Amino acid sequence: MTTTWDANHTQENALTQLQPGLKSSPEPITTSETVSQTTWGSISDHLTLGHDVSTPGPDLTTSDFNEDINLNKSQPLYVEYEVLLPGKTGNSTEKNIFLGSAVKIELSCRLADNYSMKILRVTWKKGNETIKHINKTENSWSIQLTISENWNLGSYTCTMKGEEEFRVVFHLQVPQIEGREKPVISYEGDSAILICKSHSYTPIAWTWYMTNGSEQIAINDSLMLDKYVIDKADPNVTHLKILKLTKEDDGAYWCEAAFELGRSKGKLKLSILSLMVPLKPFLAIVAEVVILITIAFVFELYSKKKEKHAEDEKELDQIEQLKSEDSNGVENTSARHRKV
Amino acid sequence: MVGVSSTPRWGWAVVGGAFLQAGLVFGGLRALGLCLGALGGSFGAQAGAVAWVGSAAIASLQLGGPLGSALSTRYGARPIVMAGGFLAGMGFLLGAFATRLSHLYLSVGLLAGLGWALVFTPSLGAVSRYFPTRRAMATGLAMAGASVVGLALGPLIPLLLDTYGWRGSLLLLAALSFNLMVAGALLRPLDVPNESPRPLPPHSQAGLCELLRHGPFLRYALAFVLVDAGYYVPHVHGPARAQEVGCDEHHAGLVMAVTAVADGIGRVVAGLLAARPTASLLRHLFAWSVLTGLALLLLPLGTTFGGLTALALAYGFCAGAIVPLQFTGVAEVVGAGRLLHAIGLMQMFESIGSLLGAPFAGWLRDLTGDFKVSFLAAGAFLLAGSLLILTLPSFFRTPRSDGSAVEGVPDSVSKGLELPSVPLSPSN
Repeated sequence: MTTTWDANHTQENALTQLQPGLKSSPEPITTSETVSQTTWGSISDHLTLGHDVSTPGPDLTTSDFNEDINLNKSQPLYVEYEVLLPGKTGNSTEKNIFLGSAVKIELSCRLADNYSMKILRVTWKKGNETIKHINKTENSWSIQLTISENWNLGSYTCTMKGEEEFRVVFHLQVPQIEGREKPVISYEGDSAILICKSHSYTPIAWTWYMTNGSEQIAINDSLMLDKYVIDKADPNVTHLKILKLTKEDDGAYWCEAAFELGRSKGKLKLSILSLMVPLKPFLAIVAEVVILITIAFVFELYSKKKEKHAEDEKELDQIEQLKSEDSNGVENTSARHRKV
Repeated sequence: MVGVSSTPRWGWAVVGGAFLQAGLVFGGLRALGLCLGALGGSFGAQAGAVAWVGSAAIASLQLGGPLGSALSTRYGARPIVMAGGFLAGMGFLLGAFATRLSHLYLSVGLLAGLGWALVFTPSLGAVSRYFPTRRAMATGLAMAGASVVGLALGPLIPLLLDTYGWRGSLLLLAALSFNLMVAGALLRPLDVPNESPRPLPPHSQAGLCELLRHGPFLRYALAFVLVDAGYYVPHVHGPARAQEVGCDEHHAGLVMAVTAVADGIGRVVAGLLAARPTASLLRHLFAWSVLTGLALLLLPLGTTFGGLTALALAYGFCAGAIVPLQFTGVAEVVGAGRLLHAIGLMQMFESIGSLLGAPFAGWLRDLTGDFKVSFLAAGAFLLAGSLLILTLPSFFRTPRSDGSAVEGVPDSVSKGLELPSVPLSPSN
């Protein structure tokens, strides 16, 4: 299910009421994050906003959302991200930003209009390195970056110090590839297909790895045509088909997507079973079927026998009765009917 | 001698057997659908092509209806149901070893479906025989098996798939399907005294051919073509609709489970309500199908999880109520003696509705962007079918306890309807 994020959250902000000069920490303020994007530079570029569905990176707070940009690789677009403070979850906010290819990006921290706080200092850092060139407008502090190499990615932190300290961390990273938690089950002699997808961002290339012990070995399908087949039809999806499975093919596999700014891997597990595994419960259930059918028929024979026995007894009784009536000399022309 | 008006004690075992078969047939169908989903492109086929395997099974099940009734009329229900159970199990067994999609069509689609056809109709016929005065109740209880087993399979099949993959799951489903033979073993033949011994040679075809010229029966069958066209839409598209209004997978599953429970309860309740000797099955049927149609029309209004669940509950209950009444109401149209053949033939006609209904709804959705129109169309189909039931001559007559109707209006047509109290069907 796609989460539709809309940029109209700002309306909520108007509800925040804070007395000026209130020193204690504010009650849960509904703040919102606004993100505005402007295209700048070549007009022929198209900015498509996708809605990323993949899971965010580990250890991130609940106020994450993912923004992603699909762009024409040749011309970097200009994108702006702005976080409105104070944030929803306390004083620290984190954002994941996935970049499929090179961009020029502006990250900014802005203080809400109704929130008056004396700002002593705002710093921007990448890791431990302070970024010197900060653009300041009335309430916002931003930095402009050109992300074109892998080392440009990373965590950029904006720290706003005043009466309180607010922190926003932007994690710029390559798009993540999701693997599968549950293993793919297949059987000896069968073939299996492992699939990796990356819909929102199109990778430049895919590579598959298998694990041998602790090593990861790339799979070259042109070398082993009768064993591995890699489907490259759709650039957003990769299929690894493994034929003639044996126990040795059991284990972990990795699909790696290469993007302009770096690589990303997803893990899949393949589990190979022998046919004996489901055969045992199969035979158990079949045995149960045979037993139940036998019981049903035996029971029926038994109850039929009982019925017959009861009927025979009834007949015998009647014969006895007639005999005794006869021997008593009772005339029963009319009594010659048998009671059934 | 077994009296007609009293229910032999074994009748409850027959209901049990019918409960089991309903569970395994419709549960098996559901499980098949889930296993197909897990194929995961194994045969290089698109999801659409794979879905046709399920449709092939449904088609076999319903188109084979007349075959099931004809064979069980001639040979009795028990051997035919057991044979059908064996075929169904074999279908799944062969499917587990499929190396191509076409193998699946033939095995799990055609063969298993055929097996189910040989199981379903004769079982209902057997239940009818043992409960001539309380058919609807017994049928409702039996058909509730489909809901119970279907519900249990919901969490079970994904577990099976995660442990054994789709091949292993099909193998185990084969073993489970063989239990249909157990259900068949329970269907002891019953001698119904007011039936003449089997005439030689009986030509069961005659019974089927007669029905094809029977106006009211054709209207009844057509009514259910329409009903089926709408009936399955929520079952097939329910999860998608739930997600359309914002439910996640978990909540969508919950909506479907709740609907299934309501469905099962509806089957039993409707059967009980109609069990009174003076109940007119057709009028009950009309009422429940109208309600189901209305529920379908209202379904698009459910745009929150709570609203959708409430409406789905209403739909499920009413839809379940239709089931026992559909199969027993036909006795009011063609008489108790031809019940078995009628059910079989009706199933065959229904396949048109059931096979086209859900894809049509899907097409409407693709055309309009969401499922609102699909559900409205489904509701319309159901109401149209209900109106057809209204046109049946038996609708306005007071029924007698044995399922035939007292004639309020003396006319020759009704005589024709009562004819088959001396049926062609032998001991069943």
